Amino acid sequence: MKEIVFAGFGGQGVLTSGLIVSEIAVSNGMNATWIPSYGSAMRGGTANCTVKFGNGRIFNPAQEKPDVLLAMNTPSFNKFIDTVAPNGTVIVNSDMVEYDPKVREDVKYVDVPCQTLAKEINHSKGANIIMTGVILKSIGEFTDQQAIDGMNAMFDKKGKGKFKEMNTKALKIGLTQI
Amino acid sequence: MAKARKIPEIAKKPSSFCPGCGHGIAIRLITECLEEMGQDTNVMFGIGVGCSSLLGGVLETDRLHCLHGRAGAVCTGMKRVSPNQMVVSYQGDGDAYSIGIGETTSAAYRNENISVFVVNNTNYGMTGGQMSNTTLPGQKTTTSVLGRDCAITGSPIKFPELVSDQFNVAYAARGAVTTPAEINKTKKYIKEALTAQLNGEGYSVVEILSACPTNWGMTPLQSVEHIHTKVVEHFPLGEYKTREAK
Amino acid sequence: MGEMIKGNHAIAEAAVRFGARLYAGYPITPSTEIMEYISWRMPEVGGAFVQAESEIAGINMVIGGAACGVRSFTASSGPGISLKQEGITQLYDEELAAVIINVVRYGNGIGTLYSAQCDYLRETRGGGNGDYRPIVLCPSSIQEAVDLLGVAFDLSEKYRTVAVLMTEGALGQMMEPCDLPEFIEPKRYPWGFDGKYSYKKVGIFERDSMKEAVAMNEKNAVIKENEQRWADVDVEDADYVFVSFGLPGRSTEGAVEELRKAGHKVGIIRPITAWPFPEKAFEKVNPNVKGFISVEANATGQMVEDVALTVKKKFSDNKPVYSLAYVYGIPEMEKIQKDYEKIAAGEIKEVF
Repeated sequence: MKEIVFAGFGGQGVLTSGLIVSEIAVSNGMNATWIPSYGSAMRGGTANCTVKFGNGRIFNPAQEKPDVLLAMNTPSFNKFIDTVAPNGTVIVNSDMVEYDPKVREDVKYVDVPCQTLAKEINHSKGANIIMTGVILKSIGEFTDQQAIDGMNAMFDKKGKGKFKEMNTKALKIGLTQI
Repeated sequence: MAKARKIPEIAKKPSSFCPGCGHGIAIRLITECLEEMGQDTNVMFGIGVGCSSLLGGVLETDRLHCLHGRAGAVCTGMKRVSPNQMVVSYQGDGDAYSIGIGETTSAAYRNENISVFVVNNTNYGMTGGQMSNTTLPGQKTTTSVLGRDCAITGSPIKFPELVSDQFNVAYAARGAVTTPAEINKTKKYIKEALTAQLNGEGYSVVEILSACPTNWGMTPLQSVEHIHTKVVEHFPLGEYKTREAK
Repeated sequence: MGEMIKGNHAIAEAAVRFGARLYAGYPITPSTEIMEYISWRMPEVGGAFVQAESEIAGINMVIGGAACGVRSFTASSGPGISLKQEGITQLYDEELAAVIINVVRYGNGIGTLYSAQCDYLRETRGGGNGDYRPIVLCPSSIQEAVDLLGVAFDLSEKYRTVAVLMTEGALGQMMEPCDLPEFIEPKRYPWGFDGKYSYKKVGIFERDSMKEAVAMNEKNAVIKENEQRWADVDVEDADYVFVSFGLPGRSTEGAVEELRKAGHKVGIIRPITAWPFPEKAFEKVNPNVKGFISVEANATGQMVEDVALTVKKKFSDNKPVYSLAYVYGIPEMEKIQKDYEKIAAGEIKEVF
């Protein structure tokens, strides 16, 4: 089973990013849970969600020890860095987050300037999708095509299929960052 | 020669109201109207807590004895799932205007297609005559023993005036069950209210001024006189909102 | 396997499919999504949705719908459910069938938005005035929430009682795959109002409270006998048996699996009905079990009292009962395992 925490400011799309990953897992026959941050954090400011997926039963859907942390802003990095599993991966929005890699020397850092990359393809709201691609590549559980199909199926269900081309482009950029 | 009016089929059981109380007349008028409209076997009642509770022992019809003040909400639920049945609330002033002011007002605010009958006797009758939101200024009750002081307790609430002025309701009136003339007028108001509902026009309310000789410490005749001289000063009789689609 | 869906949305959609045709309620986190969903969904199927002016009005509208024999329900949380108590005891007293969904949030008074199980005693004892017991069902997954909602409607009508789906804030907010039920045809029960007074009623001053009490106790006895529901794992040879429901129960099931892998003989009873409490589940337990451990998301330990009462009834040798009350949230599997080790080592004392 894999556990991923997606964290950032409200509006950075971290909840959607988590949803994409969980949908891809389910569309490939796995179990998945998605659980958002809960409590006062729901009221603006930071947002985060935890996704777990795998072939077996998922017992506790809540955040425990993430294998992967997505930190879209500095407060999120600081909040979750200590919870990451040993040998886990921390994917950092290097356009926004400054950090000292010495805080955890037993994890792997991946810096991605996702906002800059999103602007380059004229999809300023696509930074989270780029990061979704990075996460998926880092996990290595799904093929690029499974990832693209799963994501597009999710947006279709939400009635947001019209951005398919742009989103696919963004995801592909993410998939090539590692 | 006076002709005996037939007792409505759904209200044949004896009631246990005090001598001189107006509730029995109010119930008689409502059930007569329903029968005349052919709706007496197509009706469900939400009955309030207080003296109005005694209606539960009189009626032979679908009826729910609602929690104190909640008939406006219960009747909303009934009507939303039973749009083809008549839904009637029968409450007292304490029930509808104090503990139930939220439910009563909100049903009017939504213009729920129900008919609300509030018997106003200016006090809590069942519990032995406490001050209510309709108690007159200076009126002595068991909780205003020196007479109601409106400076600290508020002034009598005028519900038909309130909803006809502020909300988009179908019909609002105030009658009294004191003299044959007033009783006949009140019956017309009740029928207008029920007709409004039958035609799907929306919320209708008739407040019915009723004597409470027991708690007022008066004879029935003194009580009627009291209504005509004192109570109507604060609660003028008449129609406040007439039906548009006549 | 169904599609990913949010717990509250799954419950709302399932209610419509189970034939519920009246919802009335008031917004409160973390249950509001049920109402938001119903607000557009119910009109699509010709049902009634009312955004009530208050929690109290909401439950009284449910009384109105239930009085007409229509599947009626509402949802709320924390102080909202407190306000509804007069209506819940009224539903019970009138022998009306209705379903109340409590998406439990933590805290006294206004409380918090944290997911919790702090309403256990209130729900299982009936929180209003009088002397009644609603049927209380506690799901540990979205699929189970949906399935138990159907059970709740069926049981409430079978026994003419109130059924509570006692879910948790986190279960309402999370998403996981879920198969939704088929649509069933909504019906009006003959005991409901039809305007013709087809179903006769005892006048309010002619009721016999003594006879009613006897009938109520008989009904409760039948429910206790027939409607206990639970899941259990590895209790037959266990040295220690956990008892835990809902999401903490699910996490405890994971902890049990891990502890077994590490060689500890532990098992779990996960109550699915909190009332009636699944006493029968204890009959399967190893007679030489060393103790029972209640795992809950509340501050004081509430279900532990039912565990202790049941242990007293089913075992003669005064077995210890321990309480792991994690206040709110979902306890981590690792935390449960560590606390188990403390119990086994005698570092945490029994409470009963």
